[in-house]
Amino acid sequence: MSSAPETEMKEADSGVRYYCTAGNGMERFLVEEVKRKLAAEDIHQIPGKVLFSSSAAIHRVCDLKAAERLFLLLKQDSPVRMPTHTSPAKAASLLQSRLLGDSRGRWISAAVTWSRLQGELASSRNAVRASATQRVGENGRGSGKQSDEGEEGRQESRKRAQEFTAAEESVDKRPRGGEQSGRRAEGLQAEDGVREPEAVCGAGSGEEVEQNVESCGKSADGLGKDAGWESVGNVSFRISCKCSGSLSRCVSTQEVSKVMGVGLSRLLGWKADVRNPNLEINVYLSDDYCLLGIPLTRLPLANRSYIKTTGLRSTIAWAMASLAQIQPGFCVVDPMCGVGTILIEAAKEQQAACFLGVDIDDGQLQNADENIAFAKLQSRVHLLKASSMVLPLPSASVDAVVCDLPFGRKFSTRENMAESLPVILSEMERVLRVGGTLVVLLSPQLSCLLKKHLPQTHAGPKRNEAAAESQTGIESGLVSSPEQQITQMQSSSSQETVTVSSLAHQTTLRVSLGAIDGLIHRYVKILD
Amino acid sequence: MKLLTHNMLTSHVKGVTKGYPLLIKATEVKVNEVEFNPKFVCRMIPKLEWSALVQAADQLGHREELPGELVADYEKNEDFLKRVHRVLLEVEVIEGCLQCPESGREFPISRGIPNMLLSEDEA
Repeated sequence: MSSAPETEMKEADSGVRYYCTAGNGMERFLVEEVKRKLAAEDIHQIPGKVLFSSSAAIHRVCDLKAAERLFLLLKQDSPVRMPTHTSPAKAASLLQSRLLGDSRGRWISAAVTWSRLQGELASSRNAVRASATQRVGENGRGSGKQSDEGEEGRQESRKRAQEFTAAEESVDKRPRGGEQSGRRAEGLQAEDGVREPEAVCGAGSGEEVEQNVESCGKSADGLGKDAGWESVGNVSFRISCKCSGSLSRCVSTQEVSKVMGVGLSRLLGWKADVRNPNLEINVYLSDDYCLLGIPLTRLPLANRSYIKTTGLRSTIAWAMASLAQIQPGFCVVDPMCGVGTILIEAAKEQQAACFLGVDIDDGQLQNADENIAFAKLQSRVHLLKASSMVLPLPSASVDAVVCDLPFGRKFSTRENMAESLPVILSEMERVLRVGGTLVVLLSPQLSCLLKKHLPQTHAGPKRNEAAAESQTGIESGLVSSPEQQITQMQSSSSQETVTVSSLAHQTTLRVSLGAIDGLIHRYVKILD
Repeated sequence: MKLLTHNMLTSHVKGVTKGYPLLIKATEVKVNEVEFNPKFVCRMIPKLEWSALVQAADQLGHREELPGELVADYEKNEDFLKRVHRVLLEVEVIEGCLQCPESGREFPISRGIPNMLLSEDEA
């Protein structure tokens, strides 16, 4: 490797700074995921968001499973403090200076980075489609999208890259200080500028770009201008603003949007366009921070391109699967699989394991069948019609059980959830091998019932030392003090026996499911 | 229903002690082309009840030189892995039934999905 000049090394080291929104309770999963998959650095977690830097390829960043939406960070700063009786003029001036300042470089460099990432994303999606279409014959089910979408997608990203290349070129003509890194100017010199987008977007031919991760911004007929123009004034934007806390009492989102809109036009010559902008600029103002970013995908990452009929929110499903720590060679069962969301998320993550979905309802199984085919997972995810209360599986034959239990009081026409829960749990326990993992999602109410059958406090079942010690090899991080449990068990040996369960509680996590909360519980089978 | 699934299933009719393996009576069998994933096949082999797999493949008339016993060193034997891959994942029972070897109770397979639901007095 040649030794690169300092500015280039700096970019390679720190990569791009992003932030993702995450559902309540999902932040910890996202933090773990960006560390593991993207070698992320400078990770900063705030409620509902995770900020991080990574030099991983953008298509891998877009593959994050625990995130809601993905943004390119524009600016992260201390909160905007506004005294209660600030005049509108003063408020506007304060917002202007705090949010915009007068640094063109930050905005332009962000726009250029955004454009580059869009190009990279489009070309990687085209490449994926190219190899996928070659394999279509094998599984008998192609994704069947029109190829002209792909053409439009590539034209679109080429145009966008050209816009910002032109913008970059015109900025290069002015003497600029440190904000613009020399490396970018090098990469996009006037001569190369026109060719580079071609190189980036040229991969693949005639294949479509997947809908939900397709590049943002205008449709191909939006700008209609070629690389002939030189001014930066042809970038259009829209402001999307959220204010919370005490600031929201002093200033409205409309005021902020207006200040930003006017300010950006003045600073950069960009045009506000509410209907169909190139860039959306997200502004989050709270009592704790101010955060500005540009969304990198049109749809949230949480909307999976590979799931047809949704059930449980995919981010939660993925989190449950990741808690189960599925290893190659595992056999994983979901005894109430519904449309198969958890199994599909799990199968996408662990390619060398097999998955069995069980459900009692024909409609659900039909949807699950379609979902599995749509995700091209027929070889590894299989279905069975059976009752979760009488699983047709031998004892100790399964490595992991993952399940989203129905929250309602009735979960089928005959059965009542509260009455059936003990039997359902005992079947789950029975089919698990020793060392196997159980991950279940329940409503808070049902969780209370769960605790009666599968104790979670240290006032747990009577157990001898040997069994408790066999609870080794359990990973740290989310484990709740096994030493504490063992000590308690030893001391409680003189107490009366409680119903013995071989499932040892590991952790309980609260997650938001939108309007309601759910609790994810993890147990490990430690005795047969 | 793929034979990988069949290998995991057992009859749970009340009172039955030897409900495994279930006998297969197929009326419609399909053979699909499935992308060969040797890593996956290798990982699945240790989990299989080998004789049950061979018996099932036999019942479907798709045994095709699958050995009666697991060969040693199968991880490197691509030919063997391909045979296992074919039998485990490419052969699929679309219509038919599974039969409990002890009680004779039949469980229908419809559109590739076995229905193992028991009535209240059977469970």
